[in-house]
Amino acid sequence: MTDAYLLTNADALVVKAQTGDPAALEALYKAFESPVYNLARRICRTAEDAEDVLQETFFEVCRSIGRYRGEGSLWGWVRTIASSKALMRLRRNRYRDTDELDDDAPSTGRQDFHLQMDLEAALERLPELSRAVVWLHDVEGYTHEEIAGLMGKTVSFSKSQLARAHGRLRGWLGEVPTV
Amino acid sequence: MTHLSMEQLVGLREPGLDAGLASARDHLNSCPVCQAELDTLHQRAARLRALPTLRPTRNQWTAIATRLEAEKRTRRRRYAAIAGLALAASVAMAVVVHDLAKPRTADASQAIAEAMDHSKTLERTLERYHPEARVVDGLTAGVAERIEDRIGAIDQQLQAAQMSDQAGQQKLMLNLWRERIGLLGALVDVHVTKATNVGL
Repeated sequence: MTDAYLLTNADALVVKAQTGDPAALEALYKAFESPVYNLARRICRTAEDAEDVLQETFFEVCRSIGRYRGEGSLWGWVRTIASSKALMRLRRNRYRDTDELDDDAPSTGRQDFHLQMDLEAALERLPELSRAVVWLHDVEGYTHEEIAGLMGKTVSFSKSQLARAHGRLRGWLGEVPTV
Repeated sequence: MTHLSMEQLVGLREPGLDAGLASARDHLNSCPVCQAELDTLHQRAARLRALPTLRPTRNQWTAIATRLEAEKRTRRRRYAAIAGLALAASVAMAVVVHDLAKPRTADASQAIAEAMDHSKTLERTLERYHPEARVVDGLTAGVAERIEDRIGAIDQQLQAAQMSDQAGQQKLMLNLWRERIGLLGALVDVHVTKATNVGL
C-alpha cells in the first residue's frame, strides 16, 4: 500500500524529516498518502471528510515526527494518528447511533426479500461506528482493546459492534453459507 | 439445534480462546452449519481486505505545507510575545520588591508574586504535555487557540499595566494575573483531557 522504495529507506527518511527537511516531509506524505486516505475514506461518511482527515493527519505527522522513536513501524505510527483523526471527525460530526439505523433496504420500488448489494455498498451503508470497528479490526488488524482505546469505548462495545456489523453485512450481501 | 450467534462466531476468530467460548468451540467442531458460517465470515473479512485502495482526488501537500509554515510564523510571534512578557514580568518583580517595603501595598505585592508563581507552574505543566506534538481534533484545537488568544490579550494588558503608574495599578495587575491563571488552567484541562482520550 505504500511506496516500496520509501519503506526500505524509512529510517533515513525519518532522520531527515526530524530535522524539518521539507523534501523528506513531502516524501513521507507521498509514501503514506494513499493508505491514510483509504483508511479515512472507509471510516468517514464523505470524501470531503476523508480529505480533511488526510490533511489533519499529515499536519500532525509533520509536527510530531520529532517524537517518533522508531518503536513499532512507521506506518503503524502514522496509522494510529490517522485512525484517531478519523474517529475524532466522526465524533465531531455527531455520528449516527447504531440504534438509529434503518435496517430496511434502500427503496428500490419493489419488495426484495433477498436484496443483494456489493460489499462496497454494504460497507458504506453500515452506521459510522460499526463501519469503523469492522475496518479497524478486520482490515487494519487492530485488536478490540486497541479499538476501545482509540474510540474511548469498552472492549465489549467493540466486540458487539463487530458482531452486529457482520450480521448486517451477511444479510445485505445475501450470503447463504454452503454446508 | 441452536447454532452459534454472530457474536460467538466473531469471538472464535480471535487469537486465544476466550474461556466463555469453550462450549462454542465444542459446538463448532460438531456442526457443519456453523463451520460454514465461520468460513463465510472469514471470506467476508478477506474480501474486505481485498477492496481496492481509495485515493484522494487532489494532492493535499501544498495545503499542509502552507499550514505548517503559518504555524511556524504564529509560534515565532508567540515566542516574541512571551519574551516581551518575561521582560515585563522582571520589571513587575522589581516593582513588587520595591513595594514590599511599603506596608499598605505589601499584601497586593505578595499576591501578585504568588499569582506569577502559580502561572509559571501551570506553564511548566503545559510544557510537559507537549501539546504542540499531540494529536488534536479540530474542535479541541479551536478551543485551545481561543484560550491562547485570550492569554495573549491578557499578556498585552499586563505589559501596558506594568508601564502605567496609575492608582490601582497593582489591583489591576493582580486581577490580570488571576485571569491568566484561570485561562492557563483551562488550557491544561483541554490538553490533558484530550491526551487522555486518545491514549497518548
